[in-house]
Order: sequence, then C-alpha cells, then structure tokens
Amino acid sequence: MHIKRPKDFWAGLMFIGFGLFTVIWSLTHYQMGTAVRMGPGYFPVLLGGLLAVLGAAVFAESLLTAPPADSTPLQLPFNIVDMAIFIAVFAVCVWIAHAAGVSPDYGMLAGAAITSVLAILYRPNAQALVLLSAACVAYGYLMKPLGLVAATVALVFVSAFGGHEFKWKEVTILTVVLLVMSVVVFVKGLTLPFPICPQFVELCPIR
Amino acid sequence: MEAIFGNLIIGFGEVFRLQTITLPLIGAVPIPFNIFMCLVGALLGTLIGVLPGIGPVATIAMLLPITFNLNPTGALIMLAGIYYGAQYGGSTTAILVNLPGESSSVVTCLDGYQMARRGRAGPALAIAALGSFFAGCVATLIIAFAAPPLAEVALKFGPAEYFSLMVLGLVAATVLAHGSLIKAIAMVIFGLLLGIIGTDVNSGVLRFTFDIPELSDGIGFVVVAMGMFGTAEIIGNLELKENREIFTAKVSHLFPTKDDFKRAWAPVLRGTALGSALGILPGGGALLASFGAYTLEKKISKHPEQFGKGAIEGVAAPESANNAGAQTSFIPMLTLGIPGNAVMALMIGALMIQGIAPGPQVMNDKPQLFWGLIASMWVGNLMLVVLNLPLIGMWIKLLTVPYRYLYPSILVFMAIGVYSLSNNAFDVLIMAVFGILGYICVKLECEPAPMILGFILGPLMEENLRRAMLLSRGDPFVFISPSKPISLGFLIASAILLVIVALPTIRKKRDEAFAAEET
Repeated sequence: MHIKRPKDFWAGLMFIGFGLFTVIWSLTHYQMGTAVRMGPGYFPVLLGGLLAVLGAAVFAESLLTAPPADSTPLQLPFNIVDMAIFIAVFAVCVWIAHAAGVSPDYGMLAGAAITSVLAILYRPNAQALVLLSAACVAYGYLMKPLGLVAATVALVFVSAFGGHEFKWKEVTILTVVLLVMSVVVFVKGLTLPFPICPQFVELCPIR
Repeated sequence: MEAIFGNLIIGFGEVFRLQTITLPLIGAVPIPFNIFMCLVGALLGTLIGVLPGIGPVATIAMLLPITFNLNPTGALIMLAGIYYGAQYGGSTTAILVNLPGESSSVVTCLDGYQMARRGRAGPALAIAALGSFFAGCVATLIIAFAAPPLAEVALKFGPAEYFSLMVLGLVAATVLAHGSLIKAIAMVIFGLLLGIIGTDVNSGVLRFTFDIPELSDGIGFVVVAMGMFGTAEIIGNLELKENREIFTAKVSHLFPTKDDFKRAWAPVLRGTALGSALGILPGGGALLASFGAYTLEKKISKHPEQFGKGAIEGVAAPESANNAGAQTSFIPMLTLGIPGNAVMALMIGALMIQGIAPGPQVMNDKPQLFWGLIASMWVGNLMLVVLNLPLIGMWIKLLTVPYRYLYPSILVFMAIGVYSLSNNAFDVLIMAVFGILGYICVKLECEPAPMILGFILGPLMEENLRRAMLLSRGDPFVFISPSKPISLGFLIASAILLVIVALPTIRKKRDEAFAAEET
C-alpha cells in the first residue's frame, strides 16, 4: 500500500507504539485498582489506551487521505535502521563496560564517540543532530572523572564540528572564553560544586 | 479599589526595599536587591529576545537552578522580567532581520521588516517599544484588579473543579497548536504519560523507572524543556543555511511622526485589550495574542492591502498584544496555581524550589511576594523602554555575531544548568534524548508545546482525578453533575472549543491563519 502522508504514518506508529507499551507494561506490573480507589496502573492504562487509539486514527489517515496541498515532504537525515544501530551502539558499549567491571559511564562516552564517527563518515546530513547530542552526553559523563575543563572543551569542539564551518583558531578562542566564564560565573560566583580539574591532578591551579 | 492601591503600595515597597547583601571584598552593603534583579531579568530577556534560536523557556529553565540561592521575590521578579523582556527584544530582530527573535514576534516580521526596508526602522522600533510599554502598564493594572477576586473563587475549588480546569487548559493548548488536531491531542497524552514516570505518590510504587535510580523522582521538567525547546531548536537552526540581510546600517530618526502616532494609537489599544484577554486563557500567552491582534487589525482596517507592505498598524497591534498577553498569563498561575504555558510552568517550578506551594493561598500568605512581583512588572516595563530605545545600537551589534559562535555558547550554558540540577550526568543524557525526540517531533509535524503542558499537568491531573473519584465514591459523573457548576462549566467550554475547531469551515480559517503567520 502506498503511504500518502509519511509524516502522519511515522507519527501514528510512534503513538501506537508508546500507547501499547504503556498499557501492556502497566497491566503486567502495576495494580489497576477500582474507580473509587485507583491503583498505580489505572491512569496509565487509561491514557495509554487513548494514545494508541489516537495513533491508530493518525495512522489510518496517513494511508487513506491525500496530504494537504501545501505540505512539505518529510525529510529526515536518517532512517529507522540507523536509529536502531544508534541505540544498539550505546547498549553494547554500556554492556561491555559493565562486563569489564568499569563504570557504565565510560560505556556512554564510548557510545557517543562511536556514533559521532559513524555520523561523520556515513550520514553527513545527520551530523548536526548526532554531534550536538553526543557533545551534551560527553559533557555530562566527562564532568565527574575529568572535571569542568575537559568537559567544556569536549562540548564546544564536538558541537562546533557539527556546524557548517569549523576553524580551529576560532573554536579554541571560543572555548577559552566560555571556560573562563564558566569558572568565574558558575563555579566561583554561584559556587556550583563542579570539579575543575581531573581527579588525578593533585595540584590544580584553580581550586 | 482602595485595597488594590494599598496592595500596590506594598508591592512597590517590596520592589524598592533595601536588602543587606554580603558581597565578596566589599562586605555587607544595603542595596535595593529586587530592583537589581528586575534589571537583570529585563536585560537578559532583551538579550535572548534579540538572539534568534533561544527563547524565554530555555533561558528560564537554565536559570532555574540558580534561583535556589536567591530570595523568592527576587527570583520571581527576575524570571518574569525575562519573559516580558523577550517580547521587547524579539521585535528588534523581527524588524531589522526579518527573523523572529522570539516566537511571539513572528507576525511583526511581516510589516516591521517592510518598514525597515523603506528606511523607517526607527519609527517601527519606537512604536513597538512604546506600544509594548503601554500594554505592559495596562496589563499590570489588570492583574492587580483581576487576581484577588479570582483567587477568592479559586479557594472554593475542589479536586473535581481543578481536574476540569486542567482539561480546559489542555484542550486550549491543542486548539492553539498548528496542524492536525488529533496529533496535538496525542502529544498532550504523550506528555501526561511522561509525567507519570517516577514514584506514585499514593502507593509509593515506582512507575516506568526500569530500575534506573535516577528516574525514581521522575524526569525533571527543566530537562525536558531544555531538550525539546533548546537543543532541538539549535539542531533545527543548524540545518538551515545562514541567510540574513540586516538593516543595521543606520537606525536614524527614531521618533515616529505625528501621522504614525495617529495611525498607531487605536491598534495599540485594541492589541492591548485582545492580548490581555487571550493571555488569561489557559494555553494562551504571548504567541497567540500577537497573532490574533494582527489578524484583527487586518480585518477591520480600511486599507488591508497595505498590510505586509509596511503598515505601522501591523507592528503596533501585535507588539502591544504580545506584551499584554505575556503579563496576563501570570493570572492563572498566580491565582489558581495552574500554568497556562511552558514559561508559567517554570515559574511554578521556581516557587516550588523556594518551598512555596503555588495556588490561591499565595496571595494571602505571601502578599509581599505577590504584589512585589506585580509592581516589578511595571518597573520592568519602564526599564525596558529605556533599554530598547536609547540603547538600541547595542542590541543591533549583537545581531552581527555569527550563529557558529552563539550555539556552542548556548549549549555550554544549558549543559551547566542541567548538570547542576542534581550534579548528575543522567540529566544531561535525558536532555540529549529529548533533544533528538523534539527534533523528530518537529519533522513529523507534532507540536512540542502541548506535550510540555501535558507533562507539567500530568501528576496534578492524576492526583485530582483520584481524589475526586474517591470523594464521589467512583461516580464518574461527578465532573458534570449540577452540584458542581464550575466543573461542569469548564468541561462544557472544553467541549465547545473542540467542536468549534473540528468544524470544517473554522478549521480551514485556522489553517489559513497559521499559513499567513508562516509566510
């Protein structure tokens, strides 16, 4: 069957998926209770069912009715297989970290690095999406082991690389400016308890 | 009447109150701290209003963790200043660059930019600022007069009334969304479901946490908002090629002519009235107000053909309306404790961080906070006129900063803000996930705004539903029984709204209106 409205097709599938998952998970894990004394499962089952029904309506519409005249075609820089690979990379990395007995945080960092490289090599159109997201993930998971400086450097460089233009000199200056601001305003001014230097550096110039 | 002015005097007293602050190096000094916070808010609001690609939601979300260290009044005054300050700043970008610096100045682009192309950028900027100032003054008075009686009514609300009111708010949010109505409703429900994640308050059961300890408190609203409105928007912007034509050359003779004033005063009045009314609606706010006011002006104008070609009415009306709407949207938040839009949800978050339960009792329990906030709005508007007219050159300079410097900076501040919530990498991960989800939703034409509102109201709705059902012994008709006329009224209003939007003729009108907004 020909899909007339690809946007509604995928949106419908997404809603059906979330809705059904909620209903099934709630029914198997939480007590329903009665209308008078609602259990933890009551509200999610109600909403999940409704979401699945609405999703089915959107889905059916996508197959049956023609798109509005002024609609733009769906343009996603990746497909559903890419998404599955993307998630699988993270899952495998975290599992390996777990099996090797190190913190799963390192698995997340490895996942961010691998997906970034994959995006640069094979999906240049999805570069902004993947690199910016990976940069945020790297920032979060680098903070504890390596401190604010390393995390900020990673965030600025990786995200800048996801844009249209990348000039080493500009990005380096930008990183230094942002680092100074982060330390002065947030760590010193607002006394956020961020480690500035890596844990293994005993003599940090700024404490 | 006298009581209102007495209250406003309390408010101004609070705004100008000297507080002893211990500064590093200098020591303890008395300064009018709340005025200072108001200035900071207005400045920041103008800044992010001028910069395209970052709005008040992401900014307030970013600053929310920081407000923990401030006093409640100062924190709210600053955050409020960001919201209405952004309405001022947004018009500058719209007029000079033809880009909405803020989503609520989308319609200002139509005529404001055309005025700039004809060398009349100065008058356009001036009318936008003066109109906003007038609207801000009126809206402040409206809040002062409307809030006390509303809070009085709200004190009588039971769980059934609250539930029905939230239904009305959610329905209003779907009606205002672009595109398909079914998809908007589905997004609301999706948001409600996301709000369920975490510990169930009634039974203590962990729901949808999948054995991840960080999820036991639920997903933070700030994290979701930053992902959906922050990173998703930056990624979207990066896909567009930079293409700006900026009329920075010379903004000469700022002051509008006599003729301009003659043409603009009536639209300013109408915009203010419409904006104030639309702002109070749950699900309303600045965005809807500006777009409604523009359509109204075009409808009743004797020269509708001038619109889109530099008609000053097309700048005056929406700019007054968005500022009025931004301010009156505080009314449901302050009196009922119900957020009408994402910014108000963040305000509620700010109140809760300070240990204040939002609701009708705030006005009686914390008069200084309540009236101080209202008085600060007037002071803030005055500051904004000064910031936006004489200092306009400074903001114009900002527009020449290329986006490739801006977005990594925005990302750094967002990451710091999210990480500092609980010093945990998991929150940053969730932000990235919601960034990707927000990106996909935009591509699939599913609006994130209704989802966010559902997410905020989810836990509140479930709690009130459960209580109402418990009180009525499981009778689902409690919400529409004649013994609860307020609840019945809310539900009837929701039903009417839904029917109206679903009707084919009006549906077409709505689509046309949104199409006009987009071009």
